[in-house]
Amino acid sequence: MPKLEKQGQLPSWLTQEEHYQPTNDRDGFIARSALSISSALARLRLDGGAETPLSPSAPVKLLLALACLLLVSLARNYLFVLIVLAGVLVRACLLPRAALLRVVTTSLSAALLALVIMLPAILLGQPHSALGIAGKTLTCSGIAMETALSTPPAELTGALRKLGMPNVLIMTLDLTLKSIVRLGEVALEALSALRLRSVGRNQHKDLSMGGIGGVVLLKAAEAAQQTHDAMRCRGFTGSYDMPHSWRPRAIDLVWLCLLAVLLAIFCYLQGLIAP
Amino acid sequence: MHIPENYLSPSTCAITTAAMLPVWGCAIKRVREDVPQEKLPLLGVAAAFCFLSMMFNIPLPGGTTGHAVCGTLVAILFGPWAAVIVVSVALAVQAFFFGDGGILAFGANCLNMAFILPMVGYSLYTLLKRHLKGERGELVSAAIASYLALNAAALAAALEFGIQPALFHDAAGNALYCPYPLSVSVPAMLLGHLTVAGFAEAGFTVGILAFLRSTAPSFGLTEKNEPSGKTSVAIFSLLAVLIAACPLGLLATGDAWGEWGLEDLSVQVGYTPAGMDGGWEWSALLPDYAVGSLPAWLGYVLSAVIGVSLLVIIFRVAGALAKPRPSFD
Repeated sequence: MPKLEKQGQLPSWLTQEEHYQPTNDRDGFIARSALSISSALARLRLDGGAETPLSPSAPVKLLLALACLLLVSLARNYLFVLIVLAGVLVRACLLPRAALLRVVTTSLSAALLALVIMLPAILLGQPHSALGIAGKTLTCSGIAMETALSTPPAELTGALRKLGMPNVLIMTLDLTLKSIVRLGEVALEALSALRLRSVGRNQHKDLSMGGIGGVVLLKAAEAAQQTHDAMRCRGFTGSYDMPHSWRPRAIDLVWLCLLAVLLAIFCYLQGLIAP
Repeated sequence: MHIPENYLSPSTCAITTAAMLPVWGCAIKRVREDVPQEKLPLLGVAAAFCFLSMMFNIPLPGGTTGHAVCGTLVAILFGPWAAVIVVSVALAVQAFFFGDGGILAFGANCLNMAFILPMVGYSLYTLLKRHLKGERGELVSAAIASYLALNAAALAAALEFGIQPALFHDAAGNALYCPYPLSVSVPAMLLGHLTVAGFAEAGFTVGILAFLRSTAPSFGLTEKNEPSGKTSVAIFSLLAVLIAACPLGLLATGDAWGEWGLEDLSVQVGYTPAGMDGGWEWSALLPDYAVGSLPAWLGYVLSAVIGVSLLVIIFRVAGALAKPRPSFD
């Protein structure tokens, strides 16, 4: 306890004038981390896909996307990639503005990265193989992004179950999708707290990242456990049962016929069947 | 009217490109000022109309082919400066992806089809519309203006072709680039465009303008409100019909005047111009709108789908990236 000079007077240490001036510190590291998390969260909250009467139901859409990804990856004929790319471009034209921007930026970045990785092939005189890989990357990224942005997460998990995915995988995906936005917000709060508490020059900010990561991990485990408990309380037995009433719609059959045509074109172009 | 690679000398290409640089700069500035941000994506649809109209090849007298451009139509709907951007982007997609028109000659092609054509067309349209009132008067003005504007662009292309042998030739008098002088190029280009291609341009312009005025009046700058869902359906239906019908352009066999391959040209003039022999060539993804071993009509439709989608995406992304302008009205 500080010793008081006289009754009713302030302690001496409190009357001394402070001359502490915290040195300026650069907090670009924290600001950049916070900004990138904020933008990632904004992207996750994006609800890009409005269902139209011509949209297939989620399981058929997922099947179409997976089949297209597989066929494009296996295609040895560049013509097939172009045909699928035409479909991807038409779908992109009909996306809402924000979703279109994400599809274009992500797909172009992926294609550019593929081109850079394949740069030695261009330098060694094989530009066609580099362009082929970049074209396939562009098409596959476009398919994946368009499917993800035009399907609500809940429908996506339902579609996965319909396609026979294991329950554990679907539950992990479901819990991740549900809690990822909340965890992002926790990370953002932790970064703000770090910024407010960091007074003066701190040379070891990177050590704090471990703390933030740990907090997020603990919160993630806690949130997942609570969600799982809540699901069990409401009768969840670990299996995702699809309602038996689900039947393919007429438009789904049209899309499946188109997939069959695409498969025939693929086989024809690969030389698997005679013209 | 698409001038291919190596038909013009590099210096001609450089001068025409340099002439277009301030035009593009001014056009971008004017579009940012005049076209509301919510209407920018519609420019992509207008570019798609231009792209598709250029795929309909029409047989011309003399065994060559020609096509419409629809530059006047875009100028009427969105203003002449927007038409400069729209036709330039359509020409860029044609040159880079389909090898239609040279990369080096891009400036010259833009000068003819993206600058002279819409500017002449729009000036004539506004002049005529003062005297011809009413809906019919508007369509008649558009028809006359588009006919004359296409011929003005064809004349400009003919002049660019025709001055080459006079300016660039070797000691023996053989041309280094395009071998046809003005006395050949001007009549050859204008004969086809005055008799057939000009009327095709007028037909495309009036047909699409009448359709848009009746079913989608908000497509353009005359109405401020954004196009409704019904309007969008009408516009995209028209685009789908044009895409499905574009293989009709394959019925016209033969090359357009001034767009022959090097071998054909050598046979015609009896020698290979030295500047064109071994000149730089851009290898396009889908040269001449043909897709590998696919039947020609299917390749044409696929090219149309890819081209139209690319143009719509380019203008929608540009609209999304443009900085919003606050309105104080």
